[in-house]
Amino acid sequence: MAAAAATAATKGNGGGGGRAGVGEASGTRKKKGPGPVATAYLVIYNVVMTAGWLVIAVGLVRAYLAKGSYHSLYYSIEKPLKFFQTGALLEILHCAIGIVPSSVVLTSFQVMSRVFLIWAVTHSVKEVQSEDSVLLFVIAWTITEIIRYSFYTFSLLNHLPYIIKWARYTLFIVLYPMGVAGELLTVYAALPFVRQAGLYSISLPNKYNFSFDYYAFLILIMMSYIPIFPQLYFHMIHQRRKVLSRTEEYKKFE
Amino acid sequence: MKHYEVEILDAKTREKLCFLDKVEPQATIAEIKNLFTKTQGKSLKDEDVLQKLPVGTTATLYFRDLGAQISWVTVFLTEYAGPLFIYLLFYFRVPFIYGHKYDFTSSRHTVVHLACICHSFHYVKRLLETLFVHRFSHGTMPLRNIFKNCTYYWGFAAWMAYYINHPLYTPPTYGAQQIKLALAIFVICQLGNFSIHMALRDLRPAGSKTRKIPYPTKNPFTWLFLLVSCPNYTYEVGSWIGFAIMTQCLPVALFSLVGFTQMTIWAKGKHRSYLKEFRDYPPLRMPIIPFLL
Repeated sequence: MAAAAATAATKGNGGGGGRAGVGEASGTRKKKGPGPVATAYLVIYNVVMTAGWLVIAVGLVRAYLAKGSYHSLYYSIEKPLKFFQTGALLEILHCAIGIVPSSVVLTSFQVMSRVFLIWAVTHSVKEVQSEDSVLLFVIAWTITEIIRYSFYTFSLLNHLPYIIKWARYTLFIVLYPMGVAGELLTVYAALPFVRQAGLYSISLPNKYNFSFDYYAFLILIMMSYIPIFPQLYFHMIHQRRKVLSRTEEYKKFE
Repeated sequence: MKHYEVEILDAKTREKLCFLDKVEPQATIAEIKNLFTKTQGKSLKDEDVLQKLPVGTTATLYFRDLGAQISWVTVFLTEYAGPLFIYLLFYFRVPFIYGHKYDFTSSRHTVVHLACICHSFHYVKRLLETLFVHRFSHGTMPLRNIFKNCTYYWGFAAWMAYYINHPLYTPPTYGAQQIKLALAIFVICQLGNFSIHMALRDLRPAGSKTRKIPYPTKNPFTWLFLLVSCPNYTYEVGSWIGFAIMTQCLPVALFSLVGFTQMTIWAKGKHRSYLKEFRDYPPLRMPIIPFLL
């Protein structure tokens, strides 16, 4: 939806003339942004989330120092992890009511997959909580979220330090595959226990004539990473080129 | 009064985007922008007359490639033939679906046979309506729709059929009472749906694309037009609810829910178009559910 920018030039006078119309030509969208109340709320939200994930980060470090090993650190940060990751569901609401310009579908997908891993896998299959793969994705998520939420906070305040922007669009190169590896290994570790306990599964016969095999469902989830992960990863790489190169351009003109 | 000729160029490429002649001198930039986007925005229809378009004596028409297209009739026939055939594969317990000892066996429950008749009748009706009843406004739709639509119809048909025809199928809790009531709902709604399709067909002469407000006819099933804009969808949802109660099968209920959601979106759109096009549109009517939705 390109906003038409009409520049009226009177004949005979070179350029001159007034500029009518709002918005820029092809490429940039008209940025309306949230109102002052919404902005204040979002700043608070993002600050709280940044703080929350910092608590998790600090908790991990302290537990590691106290225990002397990196095994089974999940238990020390279980509660704040569940609280703050589940709290991210609010972000779906933010998109739905329009105070954040992202797509509801995309955001839902991202948040739901995190919430699924926390509750439907790690919480539900206790045997998996002591696996190292859990630490792998928790660390990846923690670093990513601290940067992401501070990025949003600074952006809302119109004062984004380049280092934050750089971190957000660069560290994912390592953190994203790291998180995916942790997630997949955790789901894989959960499989035998799901099979054994018949967890979340219902079999025939029953009066609703329905069946669900959670074991098969988890395998389908794992397989879905194959088409989805590369797409998201390369999308981020593409975004990185766009965002970081533009900053370079502007820097030249200073 | 002297009129202006206005030429709109792309700011970057200097390409001529639009030429408006006979622009009033009092026209504001907003109005000129409007004329420009009107000629570029909404698609023109085949029936539009050149003289009536909001352009000057030079009309610039923009060609937009819609991509590969496929006819509505082809899509409908394919998406409806699938469920008909697929359900029967499960009904006859073709090998490799259930355990080998069940190959080509038959269910001992009457309701399972009844369900097969209802499901098959439903899709045969749809196929016949596609061939002989419906009058389509558009000839074609994008090609990718056939893959999307067939996945939906064929997928759900297989999922429902698997459970209803399963050797471990459990008949409805309230037995014959439940089955009879549900069957009645199904039959009434199928008749209703067909009546509406016939009424809509009679609104439009063959080969034309005219649009008129549908009204109730002598057929009592069409009296639902008094309360809703799209009673065909109302009856369709009703049919599937009937089928779900009759089979007491959760996947059928889920299919009904998804279908209801989609049809509600379509009904709201149609309702909005009716309101926009006809000043005297009956105010009592709701899109799909009387008084509610």
